[in-house]
Amino acid sequence: MRKLLLMCSLLILIVSEGYAQSRMIKGVVTDNASKPIEGATVVVVETQKATTTDAAGNFQIQAENGQTIRVSYVGSKPVSVIVAPDSKDIRIQFKDSNTALNELVVTGYTSERKKDLTGSVSVVDLTPVKNNSSGNTMQALQGRVPGLFIEKDGSVNGATSRILIRGANTLGNNDPLYIIDGIPTTRPEVFQNLSPSNIASVQILKDASAESIYGSRASNGVIIVTTKTGGNTEDKVAFQFNSTTSVESEKSLRFKMLNAVDRGKALWQASVNDGQDPAAGYGDIYSFDWNNNYANPVLNSVTPKPFVGGDPNTPVGNTDWQSVLYKTAIVTNNDLTASIGNKNSSLQINFGNITNNGLVKFTKYGRTTGSINALSHAFNNKATFGVNLKITNSNETLTTRDLGGASTTFLAVTLAPTIPVYQKDGTTYAGELGAGYSDRNNPLHMQDLAKWNNANRLNTFGNVFLEIQPIKNLFIKSNYGADNSNYLSKVITPTFTEGALSRTTNSLFFDQNHYLSTTWSNTIRYNYDLGANNHFKFLAGTEYIKTFTDFQTTKKEGFSLQTQDYFTLDAGTGNTTVTGKSVGNRLLSEFGRLDYNYSGKYLIALTVRRDGSSLFGSNNRYGIFPAASAGWRIDKEGFMKDQTLFSELKLRAGVGMVGNQAVIGDVSRYALYATRYGTTLAQLVGGFWEQYMNIGTAYSLSGANTGTLPSGFVQIQAANPDLKWETTKEVNAGIDFAILHDKISGSFDYFSRNTTGILITPPVASALGEGQTKIVNGASKSNKGWELLLTYHGQQHGDFNYNVTLNFSHFRDKITNLPENVRPAYPGNIDNTIIGHSQFDIFGYKTAGLFQSQAEVDAAPTQIGAGPGRIRYVDTNHDGKIDANDQTWIGTTLPALEYGSRIDLTYKQFDLSIFGSGVAGRKGFDVYTLFNNLMHSRENVGPGVFNGWTPQHTNTNVPALTLKDNNNEGRTSDYFIVNTSYFKIRNIQIGYSIQPKAIFTRIRVFAMAENVFIFKSKNYLSPDPERIDLDPVPIPKIFSFGVNASF
Amino acid sequence: MIFGSCKKALDYAPKGLLSTSDLKSSSTAAEGLVTAAYAAIGNGDMIGPIYSKWAYGSVRSDDAYKGGGGTGDVGEIDAMEHYNLVTPSMDAFVSRTWKNLFKSISRANVALRAVNSLSDAEYPKKKIRIAELRFLRAHSYFTMKLLYKNVPIFDENATAADILKVSNTLSNEDAWNKIADDFQYAIDNLPDSQSELARANKLAAEAYLAKLRLYQAYEQDANHHVTNINQTRLQEVVTLTQAVISSGKYSLSSDIGDNFLPETENGPESVFAIQFTINDGTTAGRLNFEDGLNYPHGAPQYGCCGFHAASQNLVNAYTTDVNGLPNFDTFNNTIANLATATVDPRLDHTVGIDGHPYKYDPTKPFSNSWVRDPGVYGNFHTMRDQQLATSSSYFKLGPFMGTAKNVDIIRYDDVLLMQAEAYIELGQQASALPLINQIRARAAASTGRLKKLDGTFPSNYNLQPYPVTNWTQAYARKALQWERRLEFATEGERFFDLVRWGIAETTLNDYINIEKVRRPFLNTAKFTAGRDEYLPIPQSEILFTNGLYKQNPGY
Repeated sequence: MRKLLLMCSLLILIVSEGYAQSRMIKGVVTDNASKPIEGATVVVVETQKATTTDAAGNFQIQAENGQTIRVSYVGSKPVSVIVAPDSKDIRIQFKDSNTALNELVVTGYTSERKKDLTGSVSVVDLTPVKNNSSGNTMQALQGRVPGLFIEKDGSVNGATSRILIRGANTLGNNDPLYIIDGIPTTRPEVFQNLSPSNIASVQILKDASAESIYGSRASNGVIIVTTKTGGNTEDKVAFQFNSTTSVESEKSLRFKMLNAVDRGKALWQASVNDGQDPAAGYGDIYSFDWNNNYANPVLNSVTPKPFVGGDPNTPVGNTDWQSVLYKTAIVTNNDLTASIGNKNSSLQINFGNITNNGLVKFTKYGRTTGSINALSHAFNNKATFGVNLKITNSNETLTTRDLGGASTTFLAVTLAPTIPVYQKDGTTYAGELGAGYSDRNNPLHMQDLAKWNNANRLNTFGNVFLEIQPIKNLFIKSNYGADNSNYLSKVITPTFTEGALSRTTNSLFFDQNHYLSTTWSNTIRYNYDLGANNHFKFLAGTEYIKTFTDFQTTKKEGFSLQTQDYFTLDAGTGNTTVTGKSVGNRLLSEFGRLDYNYSGKYLIALTVRRDGSSLFGSNNRYGIFPAASAGWRIDKEGFMKDQTLFSELKLRAGVGMVGNQAVIGDVSRYALYATRYGTTLAQLVGGFWEQYMNIGTAYSLSGANTGTLPSGFVQIQAANPDLKWETTKEVNAGIDFAILHDKISGSFDYFSRNTTGILITPPVASALGEGQTKIVNGASKSNKGWELLLTYHGQQHGDFNYNVTLNFSHFRDKITNLPENVRPAYPGNIDNTIIGHSQFDIFGYKTAGLFQSQAEVDAAPTQIGAGPGRIRYVDTNHDGKIDANDQTWIGTTLPALEYGSRIDLTYKQFDLSIFGSGVAGRKGFDVYTLFNNLMHSRENVGPGVFNGWTPQHTNTNVPALTLKDNNNEGRTSDYFIVNTSYFKIRNIQIGYSIQPKAIFTRIRVFAMAENVFIFKSKNYLSPDPERIDLDPVPIPKIFSFGVNASF
Repeated sequence: MIFGSCKKALDYAPKGLLSTSDLKSSSTAAEGLVTAAYAAIGNGDMIGPIYSKWAYGSVRSDDAYKGGGGTGDVGEIDAMEHYNLVTPSMDAFVSRTWKNLFKSISRANVALRAVNSLSDAEYPKKKIRIAELRFLRAHSYFTMKLLYKNVPIFDENATAADILKVSNTLSNEDAWNKIADDFQYAIDNLPDSQSELARANKLAAEAYLAKLRLYQAYEQDANHHVTNINQTRLQEVVTLTQAVISSGKYSLSSDIGDNFLPETENGPESVFAIQFTINDGTTAGRLNFEDGLNYPHGAPQYGCCGFHAASQNLVNAYTTDVNGLPNFDTFNNTIANLATATVDPRLDHTVGIDGHPYKYDPTKPFSNSWVRDPGVYGNFHTMRDQQLATSSSYFKLGPFMGTAKNVDIIRYDDVLLMQAEAYIELGQQASALPLINQIRARAAASTGRLKKLDGTFPSNYNLQPYPVTNWTQAYARKALQWERRLEFATEGERFFDLVRWGIAETTLNDYINIEKVRRPFLNTAKFTAGRDEYLPIPQSEILFTNGLYKQNPGY
């Protein structure tokens, strides 16, 4: 340790004679990776004037030539610089790499130095994600933190589709818990909406020993975010301004689909193969000129009929729907922070705005964020009080679905090219008409009709706290916070006619909900030293969380005008329907923690939490979650004194128990009856067909056809007094190390966790009747994995400096127990159950190429629909026939390995950062194969179909084209399963810093490119392995320019 | 504070919901549960239907094809049309219908338990309501029996644990009798009329029990082969139907079309019907969406989805000879030329034909351009289960259509033909003749709505009563079977009739062999006797009960 502290050096030290003249000295303080250090104390020794560095590491201070400026930072040896006559800009670098080790890590109601950590905690390096085009720190973290797995799409609002910490531990809800300024929330958008320049630190608690202080909600991991409270600026207002403008395009990531004539050729070939007159199926769309000889078919030409469905107003099209639906999007992101502070108080105000005008036409997103953070010390630092308030207001218009429920993004790939975008007049949207088309809508039309839709989200998140220190080392803190969300979605559905399809009733629909969660926590901490070597830290506390949610929907029909302004509830003259409900829950907890540190060498942490929850059944009202962990700083042992290899070496191990209660509904434990006046199943569980399924209790006993109905009650749920949390037990072992004078540092963690009592809702025999399902603690899973983080600090060569960071993580989860009656709800059959597999594994048939002749078919196991040129399925159970029992496990949607790599280079005023990440060990579905190799009677297909098997063309993997598909080749099989591993260069950023003369203290301009290069298996034919089906918006390539300025 | 009141701090009571204790000993709650049990028989599911039999009874028969956009569009029905149900684990239809019918049964049982727990003083209508609930329960079991044959039957006294021990291995005879007990209780305890007409009454229970006894009369062995026609049961059918007929409460409407229009629903012919409503304060109305796919696709006023296309065979069956009688033996030899042939007027109440008024609207005659997939399914469409877009009962939700028109479960024409059938099989065919001719006379008179805009009829109608001469039992049987087909065509009775009569295999394979030449999509269709008379027991239900249920033969 001493060695480490000695490794401080001075980068620039200019000593010279000078004038005794007081002037403003500017400077920047960085660490050995040239990362700015925020909060370093800068003192002029002679005058005791002091300041601290801002987020960009900058300081300004009044000093005279010859005076000494001394810069100190916790954990590093102070550095002194003497002011020289020509000193203007002073750069100070702490070469001491242990700044990171001395970082304070918030570990739950308290904080520790990183070097004292015993659990598995990732401290997220925020520097590289400060500038991200999405304004969403969560998305920007993809691939950067070992053990944090993120999947996303290109949706304008930046919503993330999946966030997993150490994999999927349960069958239900795998979402982590967020703790923001000490206040818990389960809503990821609270974190995603935080302006990156407002975030001071992000820590991820990954193992049970670290998480258990959060008890029954922690088993999916905990993300702890602390926001900035400003620093001591000596009462001067400091500003920081970040601005980015981005251009997004998905153009290079489109699926290649057939044009109008080629689709006709493919349909002809498939019809002829089926022995079906192509004109019978598609004669309304195409004229087929062929020899009418099924034995030896020859196609002379295919001509699209001049009008769709014979309608003279709709000339046939040759439409590339992807180019119709998508456009280049512009994203602007501006963010201004003002901070002021002195040694007693500080204030930081942040204002940010982001707009995205949408890759998909007519979609858009706008978000405005504001935050105020204030901190004040009183009574000689014996009392600290503070307030943090963050407000986010966003509006979004997203992609929509057509009348039949198909997404516009799906239609952009699959809609028939012969349908034109517009009718002859060039303004009326055209649509399918006549025989041979699917009942799908024009996706641009659907988006146009949905352009008045808007979802407004107003999130308010904040806390106030008071901490007092009545006696030395005793801290009593009370923290009260609220997470408040107002959601108002407006959906306007105008009437329209488009080809044969129409909507005949217009409506205005509001869906709103109000969510409020309040948390009041009280803690008492005491630090106690017994002699010089025994350090104790005690923590005890309580927490009370109340959550309320109110839902309301209102729908009005019958609007005589179809303008945006006319669609108000009062203007409708038709049916009115309203629905609404209220739910809520309570969580009351006590917790405690004991840290013991012997001489910085041996570290022990014990935690326990007791949660009482209104969700738990009456027989299980309280859950207790204990954990213990220990650390051993081997490098501090005597026997390590003389070695020079390790500058740091620490072993960590922990065990713990945590819970998950996220999938328990607020009233899941009760036997309940409800009145359901005219409820449809879709109102409860969503779904397309479900909107046509009444589950109501009202009935016209009088026989009248209209009017209010008498209504009754129905049982909706059976009681479960035993309902409780899911329990995860975890063992974690890790090592932290730094070698070769800190040139290489890193950490490795191994974990093994078992989750039991996983909450499932087993399907029950229908004979038991309606409302007899209940949620029970049934299944078990195990999950094992490891994480490795490696950093190489490059040797400095003059002005050239570089660092390389690598991270790897692996997890494999499997179901170890699943009650038999629940299994039908998951993939698997009697021979190949899901036991031993993850719910994210793929279950289907194995294939063995194509049948080449009738003789092969006859010799093969019985396969309904088999024939020459058809896919041959494998009789895995050797019973002589191909049926559902031949399915087996053929792939997984989650990777075996996720990895990321970042290179940072600085040269003089230039900086360059390249970041890439990828996944490996993933075999999954290639959606393009479904449309490129197989014919679809309704959807367009790719050019791969022209490689289809014929008796003359047998050397192919594309089956003979068919529209009948008697062989059911769209079934899940390894025909579609390929290696879906990939590596993406996600972010390349090049910056140039200017040291301006006036007003500004620092200006950095940068250019950034995102998602520019994709490396994938050549067998994977879809453009982007991250877009696993056609519904999500593609992840675009993004080019940005921006500026970071301090003044 | 929060340290002191831990217990209270965790209290959170459900909002807007009732607990079991709220429902105890309250006649209001019991009445509400009865209402909910009625609601359940109308709680339809487009892909798990419980009241519309278009997929199960019409597409599986020779009346109609699936329709829609090719054979892959709602493939489950295509599988049923091809009798290709070798994989009984389909997620839609077979399993959902089973589930939905048991939802109805459980609502009746829940209500029965609540009603049973009240005294007559607390709940003066106790007996009547019990009778109604047993009627509703029997209705759902009867439907299940037609579809799955072997179903677990239990009553309201069965606890959850008991239910999980009730298998589906009850003999056919015992199963019918158990369901019959419910109808008999209803007959014994219901009044002839109820002030709320949607409620079951005594006559409806008699008619329904007659229907059950008629099915029961044709005794089946385990492989669905009809082994005997039980004369005692037939006699019961005669007695029960006679009670309905002689009550005078019901009669044939003057026009058969009255049965297919919302304006004339709950008319003199409606013995028991499921009620639907629109503009009732619910989101889309409590509508019949089970037939929601079945509108002409290309017609601008509908714009989806062209399912349930009439078969050529059915159209041919409506042709008549010079005597106005069916072409029993020659009807299907050629494709009927509708420009020259004489037909039964019921054709234009049933089938959408190019140029003929569709659903009685002469201003918008049916056009071949309305047809979705003529290459596969031909140019005919159906119309009985549909309403005009201009009807006040019609509502389009998303792509599909719903209607507030009742679904008739038992009509008076059915009562007449059930009695006629019983007479014929009893060898008393002379008594059947006037019944059948009553139906034919009404059909012949049902032309008022059929005229085109120019006042002419779209078809040449010639429909005559059967003469007394040559009215042998065999001829009468043939005439009865033909009459049932034409009277209830596309309403989903046909397949179940064929199975009851024991002629499903011969009739349907004969139909397929000719029809597949006209409609090659039927190439792979084949009806397998001993299997295809009934749906498979859903594999999921067998799993949920750990193999308690026995799969139907052949699956």
